[in-house]
Amino acid sequence: MLTICRKALWDQRRTLPAWASAITLSIVLESAMWPSLKAMASLDSYLAEFPDVLKDVFSIDRMSTGTGFLNAELFSLMLPLLFVVFGITRGARTVAGEEEAGTLDLLLVTPLSTTRFLFGEALALTVGVVVLGVAAAAGTLAGSALFDLGVSPGSALAGATACTLLGIVHGMIALAAGAVLGRRGPAIGVATAAALAAYVLYVGGMFVDDLAGARVLSPFHQALHAGPLAEVFPASLLVPALASVGLVLLASPVWARRDIGAHR
Amino acid sequence: MSEGQTMRRSTPAVRTHGVSKRFGRQVALTDLRLSVDAGTVCGFLGPNGAGKTTAIKLLAGLYRPTAGVVEVLGHDVAHARDTVQGLIGYLPGDFTGYADQSGRRFLRLVADLRGGVDWAFVAELAERLELDLDRRIGTLSRGNRQKVGIVQALMNQAPLLLLDEPTSGLDPLMQREFHRLLREARDRGQTVLLSSHVLSEVAAVADDVAILREGRLLDFRSMADLRTGLSRRIDMTFDATVPTTRILQVPGVRDLQVVGGTAQVDIAGPAAALLRAVVDHGLRDVQTHETDLADVFLGYYTKGATHADDLSQGSVGPTPDAACVG
Repeated sequence: MLTICRKALWDQRRTLPAWASAITLSIVLESAMWPSLKAMASLDSYLAEFPDVLKDVFSIDRMSTGTGFLNAELFSLMLPLLFVVFGITRGARTVAGEEEAGTLDLLLVTPLSTTRFLFGEALALTVGVVVLGVAAAAGTLAGSALFDLGVSPGSALAGATACTLLGIVHGMIALAAGAVLGRRGPAIGVATAAALAAYVLYVGGMFVDDLAGARVLSPFHQALHAGPLAEVFPASLLVPALASVGLVLLASPVWARRDIGAHR
Repeated sequence: MSEGQTMRRSTPAVRTHGVSKRFGRQVALTDLRLSVDAGTVCGFLGPNGAGKTTAIKLLAGLYRPTAGVVEVLGHDVAHARDTVQGLIGYLPGDFTGYADQSGRRFLRLVADLRGGVDWAFVAELAERLELDLDRRIGTLSRGNRQKVGIVQALMNQAPLLLLDEPTSGLDPLMQREFHRLLREARDRGQTVLLSSHVLSEVAAVADDVAILREGRLLDFRSMADLRTGLSRRIDMTFDATVPTTRILQVPGVRDLQVVGGTAQVDIAGPAAALLRAVVDHGLRDVQTHETDLADVFLGYYTKGATHADDLSQGSVGPTPDAACVG
């Protein structure tokens, strides 16, 4: 299992540092805008004019603080989106990508069980997204320290954890779909559709009363509703974490009984 | 295929019972009944689409049979797939490897998954196949890439080697070296099952041959049986009248034709009895015409024959249809 994990991480030896650097840099650059924004005398009245829905979605009403600023600018949409894109592309590439490339046979016709192979790939995906999470936390802390945003380490960690879990759960959807379907395109399609549906539910629930109760089902709500640069780790973060494990466990028996490479 | 032919030795390395495989409506294999003895080289021979790759993937546990049971080294593949896969050295028909890895890194990955490898043996394989393990697989030619696949399949000296079109892309010298490696593997007690649509490859190394066409096993027999069972045409010229009665009394003789003073005879098995029978009847000259083994196999592909003996034997054998040979 660890051999497969190491191999999958080696495959990301160039892309993962690039993604991590880009995330850190984007947070630091965004933080650099804070001093000039903070100096605006009319900032509070300007923010008060935003529609209520936008205030809710992007936490704009709390944008007059450094933490609120980063929440609104990065952690409410852009960073979660980057994590989700990374998770889906990596998740689809691990199993379905290997299968389409014709290399999966060689990894499976070994003493390694199909289940342990899947767990190894899931572990590598998790490690990859966690690395991005660490980059996000580091960027947040660095940006805060450099430009005086006042983001606490706990908040930085909570925000990074929220984004990480969003990336992992959608990555696991892609990985599980790829394991079941055996093709990368459909795996990306399934995971992207799930992400879009979850985001629509999350945002729609803010201004459509009938959807408000269903928001708790959305991973975006579970991960982002408390901040995501929050003072505390919300318990709802457990849901995407457990869902990620559940997805792999559910896909495993189907994957173990499927013909490998029959679609190529 | 008779039971006696398939069960003539010890516990088989590979045994299938009524194995069928479908992909949706497409039938890839039908009622495959096969038994391959341990410590032998068996060739799967057939044109493209015959079901060779499907059969190998079923044996490797990559496909699950739609019906029937696949046993490898005494294990039911459906119930002990991981165990079986640990006992196999496998070369897929479309080996690509990882373009961004060197041959050495790729072999290290496979070796780690298989629980280690004798690197001295890997080095020997690479040297004999003239393979540079430090080059990235993506930069290798088709043939050299195939060598990486061959090394990874052979390096663990697994009890069963499943090799799908193993010499594809190899030059003749390397093919010969590869055949030596297979014979050495067999001599170590390993069982080798290789697929090919090239007769010369199978004829060069196989002890037994399984002939498939359109998902069905047409015949399974030893190469030795196949060779001795072939009928040959013998032309005998006599000084006087052709002794037709004497000739037809000889066991194995069939299809006698007399043209002038020459008797053209098809005979299966040794020709000694025939020659003894006619030597005192003014026999002046004898010409034999070996039936090319290739013609027999091509006949399977094109004539719809289900057994080698059903094929008509002439001096040149059945006419092959190149389009069906692949």
